[in-house]
Amino acid sequence: MRAPNGWAPMILHLNHTRRDAALAGTEETVAAVLALLEEKHLDPGDFARLQIHLDWLQYKQNFREAITVTQEARAEGGGVPVMEVRIDSRQVPAGGMRDCLERAIELRGKAAQSGRLYLEEFKPFRSSIAWQFNRLYWQRLKDWEQATGKGYETALPGGASDGHHPQAIADSVDEFWKLLNDLDNKGHLPAEVFLLEIGVGTGTRAGLWLHRFFEVDREHGTNYYPRLRFLLGDYSLATLERCRPPVEHHIDLCSFIALDALDPIKTLSFLRHKILHVHSTNMYDNLPDEELVWRDNRIYWVHVRAYLPAAEALGIAAAAEIPASELTKVIGRLLDIGPECLADRSRGVALWQDAWKAMRLEERLVGMEELPDISFPAGLSLPQMEDILREAPNDLRFHLSPGALDSFRNTLPLLHPRGYLEVQDIFVNDLAEYNMGFHGPGKLDGSIVNWVNGALLREVAERAGYNLHFAPFRYRAGSKTSVLHTTRRE
Amino acid sequence: MKLPILPTTMVGSYSMPGWLERLKTEYFARRISRHDLDEIHDTVVKAAIKDQEVAGLDIVTDGELRRDNMIDYFIERLPGIQIDRSSKKFYYDFYDSEVIGKIPMASIGLVEDFKFLLANTDKQTKFCITGPHSLTKRVRNKHYPSEEALATDIARVLNLELKELVKAGATYIQIDEPYYSGFPEDLAWGVTVTNVLVDGVKAKTALHICYGNRYGKPSWEGTYRYLFPRILDAKVDQLTLEFARRGGEDLELFQEFKAPFELGVGVVDVKDQAIETPDIVAERIRKALKVLPAERIFILPDCGLFHLSRDVAFAKLRAMVQGTHIVRKELGR
Repeated sequence: MRAPNGWAPMILHLNHTRRDAALAGTEETVAAVLALLEEKHLDPGDFARLQIHLDWLQYKQNFREAITVTQEARAEGGGVPVMEVRIDSRQVPAGGMRDCLERAIELRGKAAQSGRLYLEEFKPFRSSIAWQFNRLYWQRLKDWEQATGKGYETALPGGASDGHHPQAIADSVDEFWKLLNDLDNKGHLPAEVFLLEIGVGTGTRAGLWLHRFFEVDREHGTNYYPRLRFLLGDYSLATLERCRPPVEHHIDLCSFIALDALDPIKTLSFLRHKILHVHSTNMYDNLPDEELVWRDNRIYWVHVRAYLPAAEALGIAAAAEIPASELTKVIGRLLDIGPECLADRSRGVALWQDAWKAMRLEERLVGMEELPDISFPAGLSLPQMEDILREAPNDLRFHLSPGALDSFRNTLPLLHPRGYLEVQDIFVNDLAEYNMGFHGPGKLDGSIVNWVNGALLREVAERAGYNLHFAPFRYRAGSKTSVLHTTRRE
Repeated sequence: MKLPILPTTMVGSYSMPGWLERLKTEYFARRISRHDLDEIHDTVVKAAIKDQEVAGLDIVTDGELRRDNMIDYFIERLPGIQIDRSSKKFYYDFYDSEVIGKIPMASIGLVEDFKFLLANTDKQTKFCITGPHSLTKRVRNKHYPSEEALATDIARVLNLELKELVKAGATYIQIDEPYYSGFPEDLAWGVTVTNVLVDGVKAKTALHICYGNRYGKPSWEGTYRYLFPRILDAKVDQLTLEFARRGGEDLELFQEFKAPFELGVGVVDVKDQAIETPDIVAERIRKALKVLPAERIFILPDCGLFHLSRDVAFAKLRAMVQGTHIVRKELGR
């Protein structure tokens, strides 16, 4: 699209494939931009550097306003920065595009926008207060579930975890039994066979898996079952406690271990090179994340600042019967001690849920050169990252997935030479896919969800001596999850 | 130059710096020249030698920093082996290679590497090569009737090279055969070709057998029991085995089978970033002394230090030397 006075074209990225919404959204967006240009609400210079992304956020609960405008600071000696407009087509009210866009453009770049109660200063996403909410959710899951009257698994897209699918578990058990049998035939079967599940959820999968293994082992008469040492690892003691009943028939084989999913080897270093099978389901997508932008051969970090819209903040304070001026302090206490931050615990839970629901993230882009102390996750260096990005499309916003990368790298040393890691999760397998849809962050109940950068995982894996294979989860039609499987790289 | 009791040395490779990895990869991407890479290699080899000297090792190696990995450095020198040079994405990857005709006898040019080592240290030296069994396992055989036949011809070429090394002054040569542990069924012919390899080589020969160190992790698990008694037929002077990571239980095999070899005892775990204390090293040496006299023991890391960062590798060597000093003092030597 070319501006009337001959400036360079603006770019409109259509990031979703919902034909009805895309068509209407595109038409309305173009009309709104031209109107704002004609009415001089939009400077022609900005128009020339306008990049509009029309998204369809599949997560109804997320951190975005209907329209977000981000403009990176002008780098010394650099060109005029791009103005990036991200539109969540789903949130823009019918016929409201022009007004929303005008307001968003007016507010851009202001140090503090009126109508927002800020909960923190700008910082990398992985350090945001949003992750403290996420942690509280897993630590106080029971409180949350009691208040909502439903278990967290009902918040999953299929209403249940794909990790519990009986056929998927049967196939997983068969593969593992075959490995043990092969080791046995070569005289290499260890006396103790270690397995590790990281992020145990309700314990249902572990229970089903062990039960199935018991049956398969009995059918074959191989007597491997008593050798199993099944480690259930999770950072939440509450979760470890509630996952016991599903494995109670196999309790003698189970150990419940509090571990940091980001660094399993730290807790389990005594099992270095000894674990034959590590598994996790929908764990990587809930680990701390960052978003980066690759534009004109430069890397930008997306820094965020959490806030509550003022009107909603007032409502939350009123419902909690606290002065509005106290709200940020009370939220801080909530994240420290939980819903007991208020004398009436149920009000504390309500405040937690309301604040989480209302929370948004303001963004700004910060160039790498302004972040001299920034470091990439283990296994990934800046030169490597630049090599990878040279092959990627320009103007790419993508997840760094540092939590997933750290967890992955710090799990590999646990693997026995014949061991393998299996991760069922939502992966982006090719960086170019980031330009074809929204991949988080979204909110799933009280937790955060981000798609995991499988392309970066693959790079890191290769340098660590593993090949990665991603297979779509074939057991449930419509499932968006894939299964990552490691094989040793020669 | 007389060696002290319990001489200390490396298995072969020293820490590969991240920046050197990138430069090697740059070379494969044709972004730096062969000449520049050679200069870089000379510099890092000198630095590796210096680190070993400062750490206090009695016998030094060249750190093997010119080598992309333990296979390709030899495969690309062996005449008659075809290599797909586009098959590497990262310098450490193995080439796809195949042998389509008889391997002719020819020099493979390792003597220059040894001479460079010799010229840059006053310490005693050791030169390491990858053995024919391991090389055979990484080459697609499209000519020979069996792996043993291929390995035998590789051994003949390497034997010629070892004799050249001895002529150049090499007194201590190590042959690396980690693939034995992955293919114990090959051991009978593996030992036979090792004997072809060392035939007539007038130097101390050591056979290093570990459980793999590719990407800094073991490739196989098991015990060294599979080596016995067949390994007793190997005409080498020394076996160099890993005991730090795996514990010292297999040491007893030396006693049980009355193995005639010297023993290179791995006392430093190269697959763990944690740095051993000198006391731990000393304890591991004492364990070995229960099965062999000090005169037949050499002190080494479990395997190459290639995958450890330089500071960790250096600290481990220092701990190894200090631990050895503790035991020497206890022995009054």
